[in-house]
Amino acid sequence: MMKKISKSQFSQLFSNIDKSYQLFLPVELDGKVNFDLWQEGDKVNIEKLKTNISPKSFIFPQSETYMKFKRDGKKLKIDNVSGKKEDYVIFGVRHCDASSFKLLDNVFLEEPVDRLYEQRREKGTIVTMACFEPEENCFCTSFGIKPQTAPIEVDVTTWDLGESILWQSQTQKGEALTEKLNDILEDAANQDKAELNSLQESTKGKVKELPLAKLDPTKITGELKDLFDSEIWQELSERCLGCGSCTFVCPTCHCYDVSDFKGDAQTGERFRCWDSCMFSDFTLMAHGNIRKTQKERVRQRFMHKLVYYPNNHEGVYACVGCGRCVEKCPVHLDIVKVIKKLGGE
Amino acid sequence: MDKITQKIRETAKLALENGEVEKIIGWTKGDTFDDSHPVFITDEDKADSLIWDSFCVNNVSKYLIKELKQSNKVGVFLKGCDSLGFNQLIVDNRIDRTKVVVYGISCPGMIDPEKVKNEGLNKGLKSVKRSGDEIIFITSEVEKKLSSKDFEFDKCLKCRHPNPVVYDQLMTDALEEREVDLEARFKDVEDLEALSNDERSAYWKNQFSKCIRCNACRNICPACSCVKCIFDNTKAEVSGKAKADTEEQFYHIIRAYHVAGRCVECGECSRVCPAGIPLHKLNSKIIKDLNGLYGEHEAGLDSSVEAPIGMFKLDDCDSFSKQGGGKK
Repeated sequence: MMKKISKSQFSQLFSNIDKSYQLFLPVELDGKVNFDLWQEGDKVNIEKLKTNISPKSFIFPQSETYMKFKRDGKKLKIDNVSGKKEDYVIFGVRHCDASSFKLLDNVFLEEPVDRLYEQRREKGTIVTMACFEPEENCFCTSFGIKPQTAPIEVDVTTWDLGESILWQSQTQKGEALTEKLNDILEDAANQDKAELNSLQESTKGKVKELPLAKLDPTKITGELKDLFDSEIWQELSERCLGCGSCTFVCPTCHCYDVSDFKGDAQTGERFRCWDSCMFSDFTLMAHGNIRKTQKERVRQRFMHKLVYYPNNHEGVYACVGCGRCVEKCPVHLDIVKVIKKLGGE
Repeated sequence: MDKITQKIRETAKLALENGEVEKIIGWTKGDTFDDSHPVFITDEDKADSLIWDSFCVNNVSKYLIKELKQSNKVGVFLKGCDSLGFNQLIVDNRIDRTKVVVYGISCPGMIDPEKVKNEGLNKGLKSVKRSGDEIIFITSEVEKKLSSKDFEFDKCLKCRHPNPVVYDQLMTDALEEREVDLEARFKDVEDLEALSNDERSAYWKNQFSKCIRCNACRNICPACSCVKCIFDNTKAEVSGKAKADTEEQFYHIIRAYHVAGRCVECGECSRVCPAGIPLHKLNSKIIKDLNGLYGEHEAGLDSSVEAPIGMFKLDDCDSFSKQGGGKK
């Protein structure tokens, strides 16, 4: 059953969700919109198409301690750190970002299952918000994502009709959340559904007009070895600064490093944190680094997204077309250029 | 074609043809209106891909560190602010001036794509042209003329060096020094100084908490040119990539102090920060303090002058010395 709630009741909606869940939603601070823990009085901004940084940190935090150790005489005591305990809701996730969660699942929920990741996924209820006005740098449709229609696996999808939003739960977790909000959600009228249909139709037309609409990664063919040895990597990587902006704003990058933090003489902890294949110490081993220059590093990043990941996951690409790398790279080196150079247009 | 673009192409072509340089570093155009990115050219037939427009914001001089290891002579196109960074690389002994040919370009200011987007002007935008103090936004249907002041990077609005301070050849006539409010140079800093210690600490804690440790600020910075940065040195035990408040604060404060006296105020750190941290304010504060302590010094203005903080004189007026009002 499709539901509906007026935007004038948003603060009621948020405080109702907040009673049973931790609530994260897009909050504007210092002119940038990012997902943050909701607090009464926050400047919630659901109009902004995409948040500055992707919401992947909620399912895959930038830093996460997973083991603690303590010296006890001659013995070493090791504690497994338990994962996410609280149920939480992320409200207003765009369909590109929601699709990225599925891509991370393919990595972390495959055997051996990542315990901490699994707990975070289980505790989270994802409420997406459809896009009717994709931006110039959006190209989610090139990866089979429909900005106006909910990906099947998300818990709840919402659509912004201006004065109100439509609400459709799709999973058990989504139902459970919807049930808790029964007091304030009303049934959507046929008229609302008609309006939704017409907005969705018009979005289909709009995405076709976008500058990057013709991008098509399936046109990247050829042998892995030939793509690997392609001349484009030298030319593309020449200007790369070797920073990690692209990887850290990317919703699908998921490489991490494991380090020990030395506390005092008696205690310490082992944590993992996001790592970037753009960094010079990525894949640094005792004998040296197998990727000696930026050329090898740049190649790795894009081969991973466009060739290796699809090879390992039934042809699914590790990009959702959110366009953040297009906007954030200080020297305009992004996946759109790579796809085009490899023949994907 | 734009006159400057034409001059750039001709100059590059000639220099490559007659062997004056082995490689040229300039800018070329990508597919989007705001995409003007660094390009490296060795083949004279490719010189025609060079361009000059309102989005050539990248300073290409730091690439020289890498390029001069492979080439004996490299030509670079530098704007006013870029030339300061270039000089600083010479002061820091990171590049050999004799191996570089500098083609100077006077720059009226670069356009901030974020400001264009904020006005909703990016939709269907094909190209952006500049004519004096006007910006012309061109879509397939309309042309819109607006004042450049409203779209330039904040850092460009404060620019004091539109003309290159070092060059071998000029591609343009010199621009008149633009009218900038010199008082406004340290306005950001003064606003922060007016806060109480607790307020200021809270301000920076909030800013640093946004940091995602991508290192973009460091890697774009012409003063950050260490062969091996301590934050990349796995043996230094400070390379923590952990997202932890202490790590981020440590990183940014160390970096600000390490570029003290060498920061050329190009503002690139703030421009490239994906999290939107106004990092240049840290550097501005240090510049203001150094100017107060040791007298005016402008990094990058003259490659033969060392920064006061990079050398020692007997009559230095450090606050702990007699000359500076201290006891020793």
